Amino acid sequence: MSRATGWLRPPTTAYAHCDVPCGIYDPHAAELAARTVARMVELIGQLPKENPTEADRAKLVRCITVKEQHAEIVKHEIGVIWSDYFKPEHVERYPDLHDRTWKILKLAGKNKQNIDAAAAAELEAAVKEYADIFWSTKK
Amino acid sequence: MTFEPSDESGAGGFSSGVSLSPIGAPWDRLRTGVWRVAVAEESMAPALAAGDWLLLDPTPARWPRRGSVVVFHEPESGILAIKRVAAGPGDHVRISAGILHLSPDQAWLLGDNGASSIDSRRYGPVGLDALVGRAWFRYAPASRIGLIPRGPQWGPLRALAEPRA
Repeated sequence: MSRATGWLRPPTTAYAHCDVPCGIYDPHAAELAARTVARMVELIGQLPKENPTEADRAKLVRCITVKEQHAEIVKHEIGVIWSDYFKPEHVERYPDLHDRTWKILKLAGKNKQNIDAAAAAELEAAVKEYADIFWSTKK
Repeated sequence: MTFEPSDESGAGGFSSGVSLSPIGAPWDRLRTGVWRVAVAEESMAPALAAGDWLLLDPTPARWPRRGSVVVFHEPESGILAIKRVAAGPGDHVRISAGILHLSPDQAWLLGDNGASSIDSRRYGPVGLDALVGRAWFRYAPASRIGLIPRGPQWGPLRALAEPRA
């Protein structure tokens, strides 16, 4: 059976090339995730420092989880745009592209490890600049 | 993104009256043409689904009629793509820059799933030299074996589909 289907299998693939369902070439997801990281840091800062209730502690855990998940999403989304979307001519136009990517990945890691409003703001700004570069290559 | 027709978008060396042999002489096409393809991605759903196995006619000397499903080399990437002929040589297509008149070797190719398809709205008209073959029969999966119909909705009006802004 498997030999039969193997023999029947077409030697080539034709792509019904699609855009949105794959959703990979849009920095918006990264921007949203970076925004979420910053917002979570903000929410964590608003929690009472002393005598937290059960609910406060639950919220703290939730915020930390969401923060770390979204920092990871930033890394994934930026990585996809970097590896799959950007081409050599884009790097020619933006010679610091690799460096920017690397810095965002590092920053996202830093935001996973720490609760640091400055680092979160830095991440958000860096992702925004990355998105601007992305869109400028679409013009 | 706006498509703007330019001199480069066509298949350069066409002049009317010469024979159209995009992939080589007919005998070459019989020998080296692509006869079978597997479909990937969903822009042709529901007519075609990812994983469908199709038979091609790799010998077309001109663009098949409107509504036909064709396999071709995508202009920008060169990957083998599958779309429907929305408009053929001589047809007019409305794009954001105005009306585009397709030259005798050009076709306007669109995916059935307009919203998500990367097609002529992205890369403009496709020259005959990019045509690989016409998909005419699905031989797998077993539950969907059969001829691939020309889309009845793909009349002239459909060919005037708005391009991506």
